[in-house]
Amino acid sequence: MITRSNFPLSKYAYGHLIGARATASSLREQVEVALAQGQEIVFDFSGVDATQSFIDELIGVLILSNGPEILDRLVFKSCSDNARAVIEFVAADRCDQFVKIHSH
Amino acid sequence: MEATADVVVNASRLCFVDPFGMALLGATFHTIRNQGRSVQICGLSAEMGGYLERMDVFEGIELVDCAPMPMQRHNRGDSLVELTRLGARRDVDEASFRLAHAVVGHIPGINPDEPPDEMTGYTAFERLVEPVQYALNELLENALTHAKGHGFPDACVWVASQYYPRKGMIQLAVVDDGCGFLASLRNHPALRRESHIDAIFTALMPRISCNRDLGLSSESVNQGVGLTTTFRIAEQAGGRLVIASGDAIHDTVGRSYQLTEDNFWQGVAVAMECRRDRLPDIRFRDLLPPLDAQPVRRLRFE
Repeated sequence: MITRSNFPLSKYAYGHLIGARATASSLREQVEVALAQGQEIVFDFSGVDATQSFIDELIGVLILSNGPEILDRLVFKSCSDNARAVIEFVAADRCDQFVKIHSH
Repeated sequence: MEATADVVVNASRLCFVDPFGMALLGATFHTIRNQGRSVQICGLSAEMGGYLERMDVFEGIELVDCAPMPMQRHNRGDSLVELTRLGARRDVDEASFRLAHAVVGHIPGINPDEPPDEMTGYTAFERLVEPVQYALNELLENALTHAKGHGFPDACVWVASQYYPRKGMIQLAVVDDGCGFLASLRNHPALRRESHIDAIFTALMPRISCNRDLGLSSESVNQGVGLTTTFRIAEQAGGRLVIASGDAIHDTVGRSYQLTEDNFWQGVAVAMECRRDRLPDIRFRDLLPPLDAQPVRRLRFE
């Protein structure tokens, strides 16, 4: 059975927004450890929005590093419409970029 | 700026400085002082002197023949932000939050401490603050990421902002003394001509960044969307961006031009103006560039 590692993002927010790449990159290091242990990752967006920069540094870099299949091991919980739109944008853009780079 | 002599500024005709001007002045004075040169300002009116001193513009500056009008330093965290210098990316979140709250200011009829809406979890005040916080976050992130490249490891970022109640407008300025857009984008295939104005136009295009494609070998990647998103926040809130870099200035309401003769800004300077009353209507999901492709994997939302 695959275990899940839960990352509540509200504790990183200022007000309702998480924005900085520096915040995302330190969080990503923890995520990478959990992924290496075979866990699924649950990002809990309850009560927060995120900038495109934050999502890109967190999710986009994981896609560029591991390929689009890493998305099968990520769960996005309780997203607002805004957060969902940013996640979909970053995922599509970085998957597209990864595929183009590796098809040459 | 390449001169070696001390600098004397005749400010006798100075009667107004907006946050963009303040941030540019602060960065310029800092550069001169770092070169071991002194700055003297002469002829400044007592009123202007008092205002600029209250905004922390005169750090390390000598005022000659000017006794700034004493201005009480009571808390103006409801309408303006003093000139602030940032040097590290770890400061971005806290600075954006603090500055956005300060510049959005006190609004008659809106209580920042009211209970949040049960459906959204937001108060009316937070709906106003968040677009400004988002824009500041992206501008500061861009500045602190790109400015230090190409031989400018000590580059800093200056921020100032103010709310103008009579016009209902917010202006915020983010100015760096780093490498500038042209140095960042010189080798980018989207740059059509090697000029500062073309570099500004290129930087405003979505998915353009000097380190978008470095990926795995870089300590930092960038999707190249932050400046475009900031522009769209300003646009949707009835405002504009004014961007200066090198010898060029571009105003997103349509005017752009080359600075004359020796005038040059080493780095990137961005001013954002917008109407405060339009901020709650902004939805971030509407600001993103159109997608070229759909995700090759289905995302798992719960």
